Amino acid sequence: MEYIAISTGFALMLLGLWGILSQKNLIKIVLGFTIFDTGINIVMVSIGYVKGKAAPILDVINASEAANKIVDPVPQALVLTAIVIGLGVTALMLVYVLKLHREKNSLDINSFKDLKW
Amino acid sequence: MVGPIYIIAVALGLAFVMGLFGKSLKNLSEWAMLAGLGFMTFVSGQWLLEFMNNTRAVETIFTAGFKPPYSINLQMGIQEAFFTFIINVVGLLGGIYLFKDLKQTGPNAMMVFLVFVMSLNVVVMTRDMFNLFVFLEVGSIATAGLILLNNNGNALQAGMKYLIATGIISSILLVGIIYAYYFSGSLNIDDILAANLGASKVTVIAVFLIYVSVLLELKPFPANGWGIDVYTAANPGIGALVSAASASASLFVLYKLASLGGAEWLNYIAIIGGITFVGSNLIGTKQESPNRLLGYSSIGQIGLLTMIVGLSNILGEKMIFIASGILISHYAAKAGLFWLSGIINAKDIKGWAALRKSPFLLFLFGTFVFALIGFPPFPSFFGKWELIMTLATGGHWAWMVTILVGSFIEGIYLFRWLGYAIKLDHDELPDFKIEWNKIFPVWIMAIVLYAVGVYVSPLTEGGMFINYLPLMFVLFLFAIDFLPIYIKNTVSIGGIIWYMFHIYPVLENDLLRLIFAGIFLIGGVLTLMAGYNKKGTRKGFYPMAMMMYAGLIGIIESSSMLEFFFSWELMTAGSYFLIIRGKRSLPHGYSYMLFSIGGAYAILFGFGLAFASGFDTSLAALGDINILPTLAYSLLAVGFMTKTASLGLHIWLPGAHGEAESDVSPMVSAILLKAGVFGLMLLFLYMDRASAGANNLWYVLGWVGALTTLVGNMSAAFQEDAKRLLAYSSIAQLGYILFALSIMTHLGWLAGFTYTINHFLFKAILFLVVGGIVVKLGTHNMYEMGGMIKKMPFSFIAVLISIIVIGGIPPLSGFAGKWLFYNAILEKGWYFQGALIFFSGIVAFLYLYKLIHSIFLGQLKDNHRTVKEISAWILVPSYILIIGIMIFSAFPHWILKPIETMIAPYFSSQALMWDGTKALTSYGYWDGTTIMIVVGTAFVLLLTWLIVLSAKAKKIEQFNIVFAAERPFRPETTHVSYNIYAGYKKALGFVVAPGITIFWNVVSTFVLEVANWFRRIYSGNMQNYALHVVLYIVVFYLIALGGF
Repeated sequence: MEYIAISTGFALMLLGLWGILSQKNLIKIVLGFTIFDTGINIVMVSIGYVKGKAAPILDVINASEAANKIVDPVPQALVLTAIVIGLGVTALMLVYVLKLHREKNSLDINSFKDLKW
Repeated sequence: MVGPIYIIAVALGLAFVMGLFGKSLKNLSEWAMLAGLGFMTFVSGQWLLEFMNNTRAVETIFTAGFKPPYSINLQMGIQEAFFTFIINVVGLLGGIYLFKDLKQTGPNAMMVFLVFVMSLNVVVMTRDMFNLFVFLEVGSIATAGLILLNNNGNALQAGMKYLIATGIISSILLVGIIYAYYFSGSLNIDDILAANLGASKVTVIAVFLIYVSVLLELKPFPANGWGIDVYTAANPGIGALVSAASASASLFVLYKLASLGGAEWLNYIAIIGGITFVGSNLIGTKQESPNRLLGYSSIGQIGLLTMIVGLSNILGEKMIFIASGILISHYAAKAGLFWLSGIINAKDIKGWAALRKSPFLLFLFGTFVFALIGFPPFPSFFGKWELIMTLATGGHWAWMVTILVGSFIEGIYLFRWLGYAIKLDHDELPDFKIEWNKIFPVWIMAIVLYAVGVYVSPLTEGGMFINYLPLMFVLFLFAIDFLPIYIKNTVSIGGIIWYMFHIYPVLENDLLRLIFAGIFLIGGVLTLMAGYNKKGTRKGFYPMAMMMYAGLIGIIESSSMLEFFFSWELMTAGSYFLIIRGKRSLPHGYSYMLFSIGGAYAILFGFGLAFASGFDTSLAALGDINILPTLAYSLLAVGFMTKTASLGLHIWLPGAHGEAESDVSPMVSAILLKAGVFGLMLLFLYMDRASAGANNLWYVLGWVGALTTLVGNMSAAFQEDAKRLLAYSSIAQLGYILFALSIMTHLGWLAGFTYTINHFLFKAILFLVVGGIVVKLGTHNMYEMGGMIKKMPFSFIAVLISIIVIGGIPPLSGFAGKWLFYNAILEKGWYFQGALIFFSGIVAFLYLYKLIHSIFLGQLKDNHRTVKEISAWILVPSYILIIGIMIFSAFPHWILKPIETMIAPYFSSQALMWDGTKALTSYGYWDGTTIMIVVGTAFVLLLTWLIVLSAKAKKIEQFNIVFAAERPFRPETTHVSYNIYAGYKKALGFVVAPGITIFWNVVSTFVLEVANWFRRIYSGNMQNYALHVVLYIVVFYLIALGGF
């Protein structure tokens, strides 16, 4: 099970990276990013996973024996933070895309090569 | 004490509250922001102060009441305090600088600004890996927000590129962090470092991912197109922050994590840094846009610092000193330069010529450029010095070469830029306004550079002995720069005379130094006297002239290698500014500087080898080089020969001396060149005579000297420009000196000293007088002169006496030099070289004849009929020098005898004997006094007879038959002295074919073309830049872990 999760995560990362590097449309590049981020999040969760243990929610499990019964909660906490950051970055990227579109009326990445050398 | 947590709390709180400000409070928000930044600066500054006074232990801040690894902890030690302090200072100053831009954009921009500075503080202080990631991301987002301050297409594109690249990089970091957590069980940095993840083949993946992402944050060459575009397009105020604050924080992250992987990884870090330092600077050489250039320079400097972090095992405890010296120079200079760029707002570095409108801004610009290159008295000078010395101690030659080559390449573009600002002809200088809030931060940064430089100098070995007195005098002259010339001139002369009395007792028993001190200081007074003849204020001249003299006398006074190098660089800086003052001196000042930096680095390398040989910091270490001695001596000799302008390194001189102002030419010719001679003398006296390498070196240098003489004299004969003729003559004379010294015998050195003193005397006279004539007649071309003998009789006599000395004609001291010279050659048995020297001596007559004939004899030109004698302020020092010549000619033993006694211990045989005023060698004898009396008497008798005879002769008036009814289109071709030696040129011109100039041109074109080729990778396409980042990761992986 954990191998499925982690391999899916890496597959999504590669897929996202492929999108970032190959797509010419800026929106699609940003989508590539979100896929990339999702992949990382899945990898993170799967790394904290311990076979046969429950989610680290203390309502369900008795707090005194939690340490033996739950999966590592830290990666899950990290993922939450990472999702929030990803949201921020994606939003900012989309703002940039919007402004770039207003500038040149194009979403093609090749029309934004004014700065070089 | 205010706790460091308040840095974060205040910034976040303020940013949050600002969003709630109503309309009435909105106007206060920028002041609130500045107050917040001021508070943050205060907190970190107070911690820094405490740590520096050693009154505190490292403070750890636990959040949420738990200890790590259950909570995030921050740390405040001296390093964190230093980094947060410099970040907050540049944040505060940057806030002041951007005051109006931020106000225009509104409180939202200020919030982002506060969050930006705050995030960097946390990045520095945090000891939690994930927290580090979060705040790196916050910093990236804030940067991308601030880039939008410049709301134009370029900034948008740059911001987007930045977001994509940092997005990928931080994702990689995140994966690295999660693996580090997985393997070490903790997110605390100290726990992760302790887990030794580099040891196992499995866990090393975490090390790799973390390192590669942290390094990519530092924008390594060539995967840094996204970073450079930010520097290019963002508001320069933001560029300053990214370059000074963000880069410092990222560097600190690398430093924090340096021990993550182990020694092998440090090696990779050093290599990546080295490649970035050289590569980024190389591409900088092709840049014309100021901000982009600054971007390349920033990345280069950070590359150097990355390299230093990577070399931390080698550098040991010196690493902190070295890194902070270079970092603080980069930080202050780069922030200052970006801010200046924002004030001037030019698209092209040529537009910086506008700086000339404001001498103070020009002063600031010069300060920053010299600080970046590592000139004294800036902290980077001491940092680089320690860096080279420490690397030499460990025998890391490749790293030394990398650093010096990279620094040299940096000099190529920085000094081109500075030259443009000082000198470039510009029809329309772009206008700029100076607002208080924009100029104030720049000033602070300049003051930081000077203050820190003086503060850190005693921390280096030998640095505490550096004499800052002459530098204070230079500063004082800056302060009174608005006064008229005659006051500043008197103050300067007074200063030099006072210093003579001050230094005489120190040098009384050291004749070698006393002679050169005499040349520098007496020469200084005499050449300065000519300045009385100029009018106005002559802005900037006096501080720079005094800086050169300060450097020159510092070279004499120095007892340690550091002091010597400090003064050497000071002299170079001062003389550069003097040389570039000439009307058409822009390219010549530039090439002078490049040769000087190259030479200085050769010397530095040699000093490094000398230090490594015995850990001796004094100059005596030069006598005891046992590591690569031949290389060390050759490098030192080459370094000094850039100043003596020996063949191959001479191409800067003709233009630099020929185009300089009339009283600068004698300073940089008669006086400055002697610094190189002094260096060579010191080196030769210290050199180990027993080693075969030394003798081969002298043999080669002898040939170089002989060929220099030939080329110099022949080139001089073919000149039409009077001052260039004198300049080539200097090259030749210095060739004689090099040759004489390389003979390395008692006689050879006596000849060398005689030539040195003679050249000082006659070249000062010639450049003073001919310079004065050139100004009077308004032309450098000798074929446009003529018949000046009656208009300028005093000048004529002065020139006549000087050329008698150069020609080596009895009874003047030139003959003494020649006599000693040929004796020395015969004794040594260097017949081929001797023949060459003898032949060039004959060639010398050609140019001497041309000089005196074309200027003073022949037909007076129509437009010169009303010309009068040159100023007495030029003639008086010249005639004082003539008195010197007369004394030296009539009583040579007064000076030569003590010199002989001084050098006797260094040479096995004393080949010269004195019998009263008579000098004896095995080849004959010579008596200066007698010759003077005999020739003087004969001269007076003949002159009297001539006057008596010609009393009855009829005077012929001049009339114009020059053109004989022709209408020549180039009238100069009908002048007798134009191309007077055409026949010789046809026969022997190949000797002076500009082969060496062509050689250096090819070298520089090659460097620029390589740069041009490399910079094509910066195609402008953001996807390519993302690809570069990915490829960088892949290649680094293959090299580090893939077994390649």
